[in-house]
Amino acid sequence: MFKELDPILHSQLRLAVMSLLISVKEAEFTFLKEKTGATAGNLSVQIQKLKDAEYIEVQKQFKDNYPQTLCKVTPKGIDAFETYVKALQGYISGNGKP
Amino acid sequence: MENETSLSHKESLQLIEEMIYKAKNSYHESGAGALLWGSVIMFCSAVSYANTWWNIKWLNQVWWLTLVAVVPQIVISIRQGKTQKFKSHTDDAMSGIWISFGIAIFLLSFFTGTLKIGAATPTFFLLLYGIPTFATGYTFRFKAMIIGGIVCWICAVVSIYVPFRTDMALYFAAAFFAWFLPGLMLRNNYLKQKHGNV
Repeated sequence: MFKELDPILHSQLRLAVMSLLISVKEAEFTFLKEKTGATAGNLSVQIQKLKDAEYIEVQKQFKDNYPQTLCKVTPKGIDAFETYVKALQGYISGNGKP
Repeated sequence: MENETSLSHKESLQLIEEMIYKAKNSYHESGAGALLWGSVIMFCSAVSYANTWWNIKWLNQVWWLTLVAVVPQIVISIRQGKTQKFKSHTDDAMSGIWISFGIAIFLLSFFTGTLKIGAATPTFFLLLYGIPTFATGYTFRFKAMIIGGIVCWICAVVSIYVPFRTDMALYFAAAFFAWFLPGLMLRNNYLKQKHGNV
């Protein structure tokens, strides 16, 4: 039996955001926007979904008088990401089907 | 990038790889700090070396320049903090290593007289130079800095057996290999990347 893929992560933009955040300690919203090429509105919605799932922490603050949004992956997010990657590898090595 | 596009398993793994690669390649050390300290130590040691012939008393104070160089270093750090849009996993560790090195050098500079280590002073300084340099190189798998750190320790050992004049040449060599050369390499990469993104 293959594990069901986490629907929160099995989405292009959310997966891209999680992959970026896994690679760094924390990142600004603008960094995620620049690397994913997503629109600000779309990215905000997906970040909120990841936050609701407690996969990431979002901190809003001011930096040089400008609002700054910082995102950081949580331990729950790391676990979910690792499980997701293992499941993907299982699918690919198991039957090769998409 | 669309959010709900259906992804195949292979595409998902490819996306993860691509994003991790993008994040990794986003970090480019400007090399300004390494170049600054490499240049300052090379200058001070070259002047001290030459002064062993010139014997101009006030030129012995040239090492105070290292204290003055703290100012541009602070400016560099603040600028870097302002432009960096993310924090890597190693940022805090690196800051800790270099701050502790700065404090250790400061304490050693002011207590060499009290400690009465006299002729062994360059050995201690060179040993200290090697620690953060090697640690940084090892962390980032940056061979030039790993070699730089080892050169510092070789110079430290050599300094036990040579006169003061040669110690100054050892400082020069250590600063060149530990900071100036890696700094130049980092600077070149940074400028290439910067121009590539325009």
